[in-house]
Parts: sequence; structure tokens; C-alpha cells
Amino acid sequence: MDGSLLVAQLISGLTSAMTLFLVASGLTLIFGVVNVFNFAHGSFYLLGAYFAYQVVAVSGVNFWAGVLLAALGAGAAGMLMEYFFLRRIYGRAGEAGFQILLTYSFILILDDVVKLVWGTDYKSISKPEILSGPFSFGEVTMPRYDLVVIVIGLAVAFGMWAAIKKTRFGRNLRAISSNREMASSLGVNVPLTLSLVFGLATALGGLSGALSAPVRTVTPGAGIEVIIGSLIVVVIGGLGNFWGALVGALVIGEVTAFGILFLPQWAILFSYAVMALVLIFRPEGLLMKRGAVR
Amino acid sequence: MRKQGGKWQAMLAIGLVLVMGLAEVASAAEKIVIGALYPMTGRAGRYGIDSVSAAEIAMNEINAKGGVNGRMIDIIFNDSKANPAYSIKVAKRYITEDKVNFLMGVVSSAAGLAVTEVSKENKVIFVGTDHASTALTTEKFQPYYFRVSNNTYQSAAAAALYAKDKKEWKKYYVIGPDYEYGHRTWEDFWMLLGKKRTDVTLVGQAWPKLFEPDYTPYITAILNAKPDVLVTTFWGGDTVAFIKQALPYKLFDKMKFYNYDAGGNYELLEAMPTGLPKGLVLSARHHLNWPDTKQNRDFVANFKAKTGRYPSYAAEGAYAGVYFIAEGVRQAGTAEDPDKLVAAMENLKLKLPEDPEGFTSYMRPIDHQIVQVQAIGETVPNKKFPPATMMLGNWRVFKAEEIIPSVAEIEAARKAVKK
Amino acid sequence: MSGHKTGVTYGRDEWAQWGIALVLFAAVPLLGKKYFVSMGNEILVMGLFAMGFNLLYGVTGMLSFGQAAYYGVGAYTVGLLLSKGVAPFWVALPATMVVGGTLALVLGPLCIRLSGVYFTMLTLAFAEMVWGIVFKWYDFTGGDNGIQGIPMPEVLRDPLRYYYFTLAVAFVSFWMIRRIVASPFGAVLQSIRENPERTGFIGVKVRRYQLAAMVLSGVFAALAGGLFAGYQHSIHPDMLHWTKSGEVILMSILGGASSFFGPLMGAAVIVFIEDMIGKYTEFWEIWIGGIMLAIVIFFPRGVIGTFDTWITRWRDHGKHAGTAARP
Repeated sequence: MDGSLLVAQLISGLTSAMTLFLVASGLTLIFGVVNVFNFAHGSFYLLGAYFAYQVVAVSGVNFWAGVLLAALGAGAAGMLMEYFFLRRIYGRAGEAGFQILLTYSFILILDDVVKLVWGTDYKSISKPEILSGPFSFGEVTMPRYDLVVIVIGLAVAFGMWAAIKKTRFGRNLRAISSNREMASSLGVNVPLTLSLVFGLATALGGLSGALSAPVRTVTPGAGIEVIIGSLIVVVIGGLGNFWGALVGALVIGEVTAFGILFLPQWAILFSYAVMALVLIFRPEGLLMKRGAVR
Repeated sequence: MRKQGGKWQAMLAIGLVLVMGLAEVASAAEKIVIGALYPMTGRAGRYGIDSVSAAEIAMNEINAKGGVNGRMIDIIFNDSKANPAYSIKVAKRYITEDKVNFLMGVVSSAAGLAVTEVSKENKVIFVGTDHASTALTTEKFQPYYFRVSNNTYQSAAAAALYAKDKKEWKKYYVIGPDYEYGHRTWEDFWMLLGKKRTDVTLVGQAWPKLFEPDYTPYITAILNAKPDVLVTTFWGGDTVAFIKQALPYKLFDKMKFYNYDAGGNYELLEAMPTGLPKGLVLSARHHLNWPDTKQNRDFVANFKAKTGRYPSYAAEGAYAGVYFIAEGVRQAGTAEDPDKLVAAMENLKLKLPEDPEGFTSYMRPIDHQIVQVQAIGETVPNKKFPPATMMLGNWRVFKAEEIIPSVAEIEAARKAVKK
Repeated sequence: MSGHKTGVTYGRDEWAQWGIALVLFAAVPLLGKKYFVSMGNEILVMGLFAMGFNLLYGVTGMLSFGQAAYYGVGAYTVGLLLSKGVAPFWVALPATMVVGGTLALVLGPLCIRLSGVYFTMLTLAFAEMVWGIVFKWYDFTGGDNGIQGIPMPEVLRDPLRYYYFTLAVAFVSFWMIRRIVASPFGAVLQSIRENPERTGFIGVKVRRYQLAAMVLSGVFAALAGGLFAGYQHSIHPDMLHWTKSGEVILMSILGGASSFFGPLMGAAVIVFIEDMIGKYTEFWEIWIGGIMLAIVIFFPRGVIGTFDTWITRWRDHGKHAGTAARP
């Protein structure tokens, strides 16, 4: 097996990993700070794709502006969901059960909303012209668009890290995720911060949806498929651990990329197998301290 | 447990039961009632919704001409959710409550397999209009089942005939969704091609999960294997996603893309108004622009007028299904006697929009599978059906009789299952 | 607030409740519609599944999002044994309980290592893997086509007979669950729900009780699955899908996880609503989603629980004005 094949798979695995990471990052962020597993995350991904379609393909706005607007739109929708609905169940007895039902109900509702507004045809956006071709270095080729997505993914990762480490907002987030009551009594505006985090996370979901729209199918029902993939990534990396999501995405991306070469019949089971191993040996996730959440 | 709980629960339950009773409405006796099950939500939703519209068009056309022997057709629709358990539930309700004369539809083969059992147990004819699993007409065959769209065997057989003459197609690679349809569609083709060409080899295969969003690692593996032909058994959005993702790798310059069962469906051509490469070799179970007969043109135009868009292939199947039922009732002289209906229907001939001049689709008694012509084409520029900018052309047409399993093959397959 | 009684004496009201429930279900066929019998059958099966789930959730406080794995495995036990002619239904149905319990014994210890939402996610993850295996193992399980036309014994083929059979099995199971909850074992489970740490401090081996709860829940879920396979004569990997796990959570919460018959009521309401709405519109998702949302926001104790509170408040309005029961 020659070197260029391995390099090609490495790169394509990296591409997969970055898109996985972009989708999963929002999920793990919400979990870490708000302690909610947002099942409807895939629906915000889908909303981002549809908003991007509406703004770019229908209204003719520039692609990157459109993607940004789509992300903001998804973020706004997320904040509305948090403010009007999720907020009412914080602190309730049996909250986790209600969270599941509430977020699941949003999957159903948003799926039909999208179908009502845009119909069942497959929607399409074109990539910006200069990004539609390949990028070569040495023997390796990859789509230019994918390279940009990787760069964006890394920028998001570093941006989030910097924001959480260095800004006031980030400090508030960390405070809230350790102890909500304490943070509140120390003067952090907890409700506002929670809404903002939710909005940020769903904006990330929407961003990944918008970025994926030119290369995937935009259709009702396309949100559900990213949620299980994100779940696997997030479980592997550690629920709530931002870098864990990146590590998890890389593991899954590369395991799948190489698994395809050697065991093509079993491709769909690779991510499950990795998840199984992690769950058996390190259930809190690869990047969490052992025993952190028992 | 609260003391008042018991009474409350009881009253609520009684209330429920009363509401259920009041909610039932007596159904009309004289109409021919068809109970249709199609997916209206989820990834297959487009096919279901198109099928509903087309079925309604057929129903209105027939009723406008006075119905069948004076009886009007009525169709009840319900979402199948592509869920076998739910489909069974609805099918049973159709039979016991709505007193349907016929069952029709389903897109998912799993749901089809489930509903055919209900059809068998209750002796209610089930007309399949889209699902393609060959099992329903071979191993799982039961006399009350009829299919009016082609199955994977027929597409695969046509594909093998097409590929047989392509001397330059020697190295094959296959990628498809990892479930029965994806595998079977390929296996039938490869088995049939193997009988005609001994110089073809399989240089690789890949089976991503159904609805896999990201094919990038598969694409690089395929490029490395350097096949002459890439066979794909994707349908719907998966085909679109794969093509979009493969484009920047210039995959389509390096190999032929061959998707002979569902690749050429209109919703794909519509989904890629820009960037769809020329020369993809595709087919579908119905084409908008072939054959260029008045019946096909009218069908497409009527559908567009009613819904504002062009039909995906599932529509023609549903349209055929309603006409098939109508014609069956007309010839049998009854809609209530299932055995007379079976006798009439298994020899039925029906001229459909997808029939070219000089050919009429017909039903085969041995397996209740409709026998039709299959046409395989390549993508070429064609703006007659916006928003698509390409349609299929450079057709090769395959005779109906050349692409069906022989009676002997069917009997052997059935015997093999009986063990 | 716990709604489960412990202690072995059963008041007259409770006998009345059981009696009414039994009579109502037994009377369904008398309404004369086969469709009601079908629906009733489904309600009983899902009700059993939900009651078993609630043993884990409402009683022990463990929110599992993976019960569909046991339900599905139970269904497949019956489906596979019968369709391959290996064993008759009378053997297969009890076998579901063994298989369900065993699976819980395997997966349970792995899940219990974490608690709270982590536990929930683990149960989901493991259930997805079981689903994946069933989906992929085409030669054995029929893969994504499932298995149809499962042959049932002659005596149970009539839907009416099967309905009464299900009724019997379900109510016996409900009674068993009731006994479990009312026993000292059940009391320990409830105290684990209230405060696992403290319960551990008094010397209880919390993990063992939690595992036992998982096993019992798995057993009833599998039994429910087996009953469903016998009812529809069909099995499919969808039965193991996480949406099925979600359904049973919804039923329990809707009916009221802290009242004994709550999950059964929840099952009745959900089965009925899904059927009704599906009949009339293709946009059932927005209706069902909307109803779920309304229930979560406005009926935190389930529809039954909330009605109970209203009734109590109304009754006590005159007697104890100012100190009436608070939500």
C-alpha cells in the first residue's frame, strides 16, 4: 500500500473530522455549561442549512455573509428555544427526563416547520466559485472548500478556547458549569449567560449546517443523522469537554478513513466499536479525569 | 398513591373510550376504496408526497370518466413513516375500519414486506407501487400481492446488458448504502454481468451507512483503486451528496459513474442545477423525457399543473397503481371478490406513461411483477424541465422480456427458501 | 414527593383501581370493533414496557434512554425462535425474560459506573450498538428487513384470544411490579432515588440495587417486546431504535412517573393520539411535538398527576384554605 494513499486517507479523515467537530462542538458546549443534552441540535444544523439556502440561493446574498447570517439565525432560534421553553424546566425534579422530551419535541416541530416552509425538494447552494476546485500540494489533492472548512474548524476551536480562557464571558461560563448557584451569588447574570451560551452553541450547529449545505443534501429529515454521530464524538471525548470533542472527532474521522481501506464491509460499525471501547474502559470520556463524574 | 387517583384514572379511561367511539364515521359502501400508505415525513418524504399527488390525479381522471363500471374510486392516505410496525397497524385499520378493497403503496421495502403479510392474512390485494425488493415477488410471494413498478432485478439486468457491451469497462468498484437494497441491487447486477463477461474484476467495495452525510474518506479510497467504472446503489439525497463531494476530486473525469436503479431520478437532476457532470450513466424507474409519447408528456404536464413541480419517479408508480386497480376491477366485474380480482389482474395489460410506442406493460402471473421496458441514459444538457439543467439522453433501451428472471429461476429461488 | 406506597396492606381504593382498570380493558372487545382490540393490545404491550421502565425511572430515579434494546431483544427472541422453528411460543415468551435480564446483567454494570446524565448517555450509546448489531447481522436477524410472518400457535392466532392473553400477562406483570415496589426492596430503590449517597451511608450496596432495578426493568421490557412480536407477527430493527426508548420515557412522564398506573395511562394516551393524528394529517410531527411540548411545560407531573393535584386542591379548598396541597 503506497504512501500517497495513506496520506490521502489521512487528509480525508481530517476533513471528516473537522466537519464532525464543528457539529459536535455546539452540543458539548451546551452540555458542559447548561447541563442539557440538546437532542434538537441536528435541527439547528438543518435550520442553518435552510437559512443559508434562503439567503444565498434565493436572495442572492454573498456566500460568506449568508453563512454568517444563517449561523446567527440558528443562534437566535436557539436562544428563543432556551428562553421560552428550556428555562421553565431548569431545576425541576426529574429534569433530565423533561429535557429529553422537550428537545425531542423540538426535533419533531422543527422538522415539520422546515417542510412547511421549504417543501420536500432537495435544496442546493453553490460554493463560491474560487473554492469549487481542488487544491494540490505535492501528490495530494483535496477540495479547496474542504481546506477552508478545516481552517474554519480550527479557528472555531481556538476562538472558543481563547474566549473561555481569557474573556469575562468565558469565566462566567466556567463558573456556571461548576456551580450555578455560586456563580449567581457572585454576581454573574446566570439567565442571560445561559441564553447566550445556548445561542452560541446553536449558532455553531447552524454554522456547520450552512457550511455543509453546498456539499450535502438539504432536505427535511437530514438533521437526525448528525445527532447520533455527534453523540458518539462527544461521548468519546467526554461530555462537556470542548477539546474532547475535537479529539473524539479526529479519532472517529481517522478510524473510519482507515477502516474503509482495510475492512470496507464493516465501515458502519467502526464508530460504534470505538465508542464501545471508550465506554467500557473510560466511560467519562478520553479527556476527562478518571472518576471525574462518578 | 393518591386515594382519588383511581377514580380519576377510571374516568379518563372511560372518556377516552367514548371519544374513540364517537370519532368513528361510517364509510360509504358503493365506492371502491383504496388504502394507501406512503412515507410523508423523513428522507423518503418526497416520494410519498409525489405518489399521493399522482394517485389523486389518476383517481380524478378515472372518476371524471364515470368511474369503474359506475363506481367511483376513493383513496385514503396515511403516512407510513417508513416504519413497518406502524404500517402494519395502519394497514390493519384500513381493512377492519375503513373496509378498503385494496391496499396500495409503500416506498420502503421493509414496510412492503410487513404489509404483504397483512395482505396475505386478510386476503386483501396489495399493489406495490415503489419498493423494489425482489423478495416480494420471489421468496415472499403471496397471491394477493402485485407490483406495478420494476424491481431491482430488472434494473440490474438492464444494467448488465448495457455493461456487457462496454468493452472498456473492466475494473469495477461499488459503493452503496449498507442495507439490503444497497447490497441486493449490486449483487443482482454483478451476478448477471459475470455470466456475460469473464474479464471484469471488482477492485474494491465500500458500504457506508444509509444517509451517511460525509463520503470524503470513501472518495479518496475509490480514487486510489482507479476503477474504470464506479457502480453506486445510492438513492435520493445520498446520490446528491456523493456527487457534490466527489466533484472537486475530478472523480467523474477518471471513471464512469454508473447508478442504474435510482440514480437518474428527477429529484437529483433538480437538486443540482449547476455542477452536475455530463456523462453520468444513470437510470430510474420513470423518466420525464423518455419515452416521448403523448401519454408521458400529458402525465408530466398534469402533475406539474397540479403541484407546481415535476414528478419524481415514484409518482408514475402510484399513478400506475390506481389505474391497475381500476382496470382490474373493470375486468373482474367486482371489487369485493379477491380471487376473481387476482385472476383478472395477473394477466392484465396496462398502457402506462413509461411505455414506449409499440409496447404495453403487462403483469406476469408467475410472480405478479409488472414487465416493462428499461432505458439507461447519460446526463446531457437539457433545460426543458427547470430547475434541472441536465436530463438523461443518449438512451439505450432494453426489451422487457430480456430483463426479467425466467420462470425456472423464480421457481428455483422459491424452492431454495423452502429448504 | 413520592407517590408510591410501601407497606403491604392494600386499601379498598386500591382494589377499586385495579378492578376498574381490569374491567375497562376486558370490556374493550365488547365495543365490537376489531380496531379497538388492536389498539387495546398495543396499549397493554406499551403499557407493560412503560411500567417496567418506570420501575427504573420513577421508582429508582435512573433515567435510561436505552430500554428499547431490551424490548427489541425480547421481540427478536420470540421472532427468531418461532420463525426458525427452534421453539414454540410457550417457551419463547418466558425466554424473553431470561434474555432481557441477561442483557441487563451485561450492559448494566457498564452503565451504572456513571450517574446522572452520563448514565443516560451511556444507556443510549449501548442501545445504539445493540441496534447496530441487529441491523447489520442480516443472515441471522434479517437485517433491515426484519422478519415477517412469524408463525404463532393456532390457539393464539385469533386477535381476540391474543388480546385476552396479553391482558392476562400484562396484569399479572403489573401485579408483580406492584409487589416489588411495595416490598422492602422497593423501599430501598425509592430511597436510592431520593438520595443515593445517604442510602449508601446506611450500609446499602447501592450499585447492587441499581443493577437489580435494571435487570427487572429489562425483564419486563423484553416480555413486552415478545408480546408485541406475537401480536404483529413481525419484528424489525426499528424496535431497538432510540426513538422507541424515547416513546416509553414520554409515556411515563405523560402519565405521571410518580403514580403507579401513570405509565399505563400515558401509553393509552400516546397510542391513541398517534393513531388519531396520523389519520388526519401528514404534518403529524408538529402536532405530536406540540403536544409533547405542552405536556412538558404545563404538566410536570404528568397529565394524571396534575389532575390529581387539581382535584385534591379543589377538595381541600373548603377544609384547609391556605394550606391546600402545593404543586
